[in-house]
Amino acid sequence: MNQYDVHRGENPRIIFFFWIVILASITLVLGLAWRQLIANQKYEAIEKRQTERRILKPGPRGDIYDRKGNLLVGNRPHYSAVVYLDDLRREFRSEYSKIIRAERERIRKAYDLRPKNERAGVAPPAPNYNELQWVARKNVIEIYIDKINVITGREDTITTRAIIRHFNEQLLLPLVLVEDLTADQYARLIEQVPVQSPIKIHTDTARYYPYGAAAAHTLGYVQKVNPDPSEIIDDGLKTFTFKTKQGKTGIERSFDEHLSGTTGHEIWRVDPLGFQDALLYQEAPKQGENFISSIDIDLQIAAETALGNRTGTAIALDVKTGEVLAIASHPGYDLNDLSPYIPRKVFDKINEQGAWMNRSLQLSYPPGSTFKLLSAIAGLRKGTINTKTQHNCQGVFPLGNRIFSCHARNGHGLVDLATAIEGSCNIFFYAEGLRIGIDELSAEAQRFGLNERTGIEVPYETGRLVVPTKDWKREIIGEGWMLGDTANTAIGQGFLLVTPLQMANLIASIARGETRTQPTLRALSAEEAKRVDHGGEPIGLTPRQHVELWEGMERVVSNSGTGRLVQIDGLRIAGKTGTADFRAHGKEVNLAWFLGLAPVEDPQIAIAVMVEGTSSSDSYHGGSTAGPVAKDIFLEFIEHYPERAGLAFKY
Amino acid sequence: MANVRLDKIKPLVALAAFLFAWWAIPTTVKSYLKAGFTEFQSPAWVATSYLDDLEGFWARRSHSKVELIEAGREVARAKSHYQFRAQRTQSLEQEISRLETILHLPSRREFRYEVARVVRRDLNYWWQHIIIRKGKDYNIPKGAAVVFAGGVVGRVIEVNAFTSRVELVTSPNFRMAANFEGDGRPVIYQGVAQSGFGNPIGSVRDAPKDSHASTLTPLKLVSTHLGGTFPAGLVIGQVSWLEPGITGIFQAGSVELDSRLLSLHEVAVLIPLHPINLPSDDL
Repeated sequence: MNQYDVHRGENPRIIFFFWIVILASITLVLGLAWRQLIANQKYEAIEKRQTERRILKPGPRGDIYDRKGNLLVGNRPHYSAVVYLDDLRREFRSEYSKIIRAERERIRKAYDLRPKNERAGVAPPAPNYNELQWVARKNVIEIYIDKINVITGREDTITTRAIIRHFNEQLLLPLVLVEDLTADQYARLIEQVPVQSPIKIHTDTARYYPYGAAAAHTLGYVQKVNPDPSEIIDDGLKTFTFKTKQGKTGIERSFDEHLSGTTGHEIWRVDPLGFQDALLYQEAPKQGENFISSIDIDLQIAAETALGNRTGTAIALDVKTGEVLAIASHPGYDLNDLSPYIPRKVFDKINEQGAWMNRSLQLSYPPGSTFKLLSAIAGLRKGTINTKTQHNCQGVFPLGNRIFSCHARNGHGLVDLATAIEGSCNIFFYAEGLRIGIDELSAEAQRFGLNERTGIEVPYETGRLVVPTKDWKREIIGEGWMLGDTANTAIGQGFLLVTPLQMANLIASIARGETRTQPTLRALSAEEAKRVDHGGEPIGLTPRQHVELWEGMERVVSNSGTGRLVQIDGLRIAGKTGTADFRAHGKEVNLAWFLGLAPVEDPQIAIAVMVEGTSSSDSYHGGSTAGPVAKDIFLEFIEHYPERAGLAFKY
Repeated sequence: MANVRLDKIKPLVALAAFLFAWWAIPTTVKSYLKAGFTEFQSPAWVATSYLDDLEGFWARRSHSKVELIEAGREVARAKSHYQFRAQRTQSLEQEISRLETILHLPSRREFRYEVARVVRRDLNYWWQHIIIRKGKDYNIPKGAAVVFAGGVVGRVIEVNAFTSRVELVTSPNFRMAANFEGDGRPVIYQGVAQSGFGNPIGSVRDAPKDSHASTLTPLKLVSTHLGGTFPAGLVIGQVSWLEPGITGIFQAGSVELDSRLLSLHEVAVLIPLHPINLPSDDL
């Protein structure tokens, strides 16, 4: 029996303390139970927030193919030499101690050199520890960069600012020491940097364009950006993100969501200083969906080659479906020069050449004589033009106090509609334009959608489209409509402004006998192709009027027509040439146009070519400048689609 | 009683003192001691190797004349075959040299071959290092490529007076740039921890996603000249499967290496005629 047991149950002070202890114990147990069993999720979340970090890894983008399965845009490896700062901590400390010792020594020596009376009661100044810490870190990192430079023969450096930013914002991500290594630099590092070295070879992807500058404006390029915040799971975990690639122009932009990969992520446990301790969870990123474009790379290359160094554009459409088979805009640029980033020099060069602009749809031009097709349709529908309509072209057309001229100085003589189209007679269309009137001419152009964007899946299509009306001139120019304006409009000059893509649409629509074509860059399946709705209406010509118009168009590409250079043995081509005056680059230049379709029996392909003069000395004409470009595309079409060209047995 | 106890812990105290001294002495002294110890051991290893060769010689002496004549014929046949191959290689090299001149291509890296007998496989590094019987006496440089009839053997990592240490292609610390035969895109080959049974294996990563390998149509992994250590086209092994790696676009897989790597007797060291920037130890 214990000596104190005699007081148990008797001494009220002991009983009081006994209950105090019991209550305190119960409180502790309940508190513990509360935290462990009921509020555990809250504490788990706090613990997680303090000790775990997430790293987001964007997935690679999908590939872009042409309609025949040729790779147009893919992903190539993008090699960098990186280092995880966690691996350098010991070296940072060692370098820091060395620097601190040296700095203290320097300060002490400087202090000792001061006169005694100045030193009295004044302690030597303390080193700037924070600054020295960054110096130490930079020194260590620079040692590794120098070693990489020795192996690769490069001259890379790093700034203290970049190191500070990385420490503060991306501690868990690798610090890039050297970026965009070539294949041989990468191979040399692989072989000459030991596996245990803190230097790691990081392999990422960059966009790769096997055909270089082909369809550059249409395919577009990407830019590295921070990932969309909505992709970051909002669970309070501190998240570090690798930059993702986002489409900036062309298909890359329009189909960005489709092409973008699924972001993967890793969850790391970190130590109290924020460096990685252990990988807790990993989910691999997934590549984005592939995109099959309507472009045929053979036709595209033919268009690019035919345009050569000239400024302009060439577009080929599938008449039935509106699929874009080729769309070239010059000057262009090699997309590989913009990947993985756009160097300043490259940007400035492209800027200087005016090559950023996609001339097929971002700039508008007067259509010149190619517009005469619309004037003809308007006249035929109104009834002012018929098979008997004839005008005597003497080379000049007096109107009021002005003299309008034809490009044939001596005149075409007596011309009917077909002959006027064949020889592109201005006089015929001046006269008929005045009979039709600007209201009908504008209405016809609007019916064919020349005042609207085409809606093709490429961004930045220009809205600067002008189909002039009386009201338009009064509102924009502030002047009344003149007869001369109507005459000019009838031959595609004056205030008219259209894009080459719209003109490609126009010729494709005429080929189908409809008013609208919906161009698309998506390759359509056979089923989709059958269900295409271009959204227009029939042109509304009688069979006789149709024959009249088409006869003129086919005669354009005959021995006596303005587009004679486009002739191809065995293939019936119809078209219209155009030569327009245009003010560009601060001077008057020529625009050479050609619109064409083939085969006449059952049109399959429609082509629009526009070549832009860049100096006053350039003497460009639709038939001789733009026509041969179209001919090369037709020839390529025959080679690759002989059955559709109706020439299967010949080729 | 106390004296007895002290006597018993004396060896432990001595061991602790030695370990402390070893820990305390500078790294350079340790390296020097280690190198000295290796040089001290080398004559014994080399002598053992020569004895092995002598043993082989006497073993062959015991063969009958008929067997030796047959073997001699076999060697003669092989020799004439290799002579023909050598002539063909020489003419091809001349053709390549001519094309390089016409096309203004940079000339390929040239190597000198130094054939060396394998002294032993080093147990200390989990059998991932071999010692060869040539060193500074034959100007063997550190970092040089080592090959054999079956392709890549490894890389020289240490050169002593009369021996060199070679890190084998199977070692997890061995890494090199490679490519699949007929495809110039570089991939990474790296050794892996060996199971100890069966054929040696390695790993390949950063393989392009359009590379397809199967047991029926395996891909041959060969060396690339891009890294500067190895000439192009030396066989590393075969890849029978590839699967998507964690990057989501590149593939990774296993490489089946030549089984003869487990019993190497003779190798050749490729000594570059124009030295390259070899890595320093502390990279």
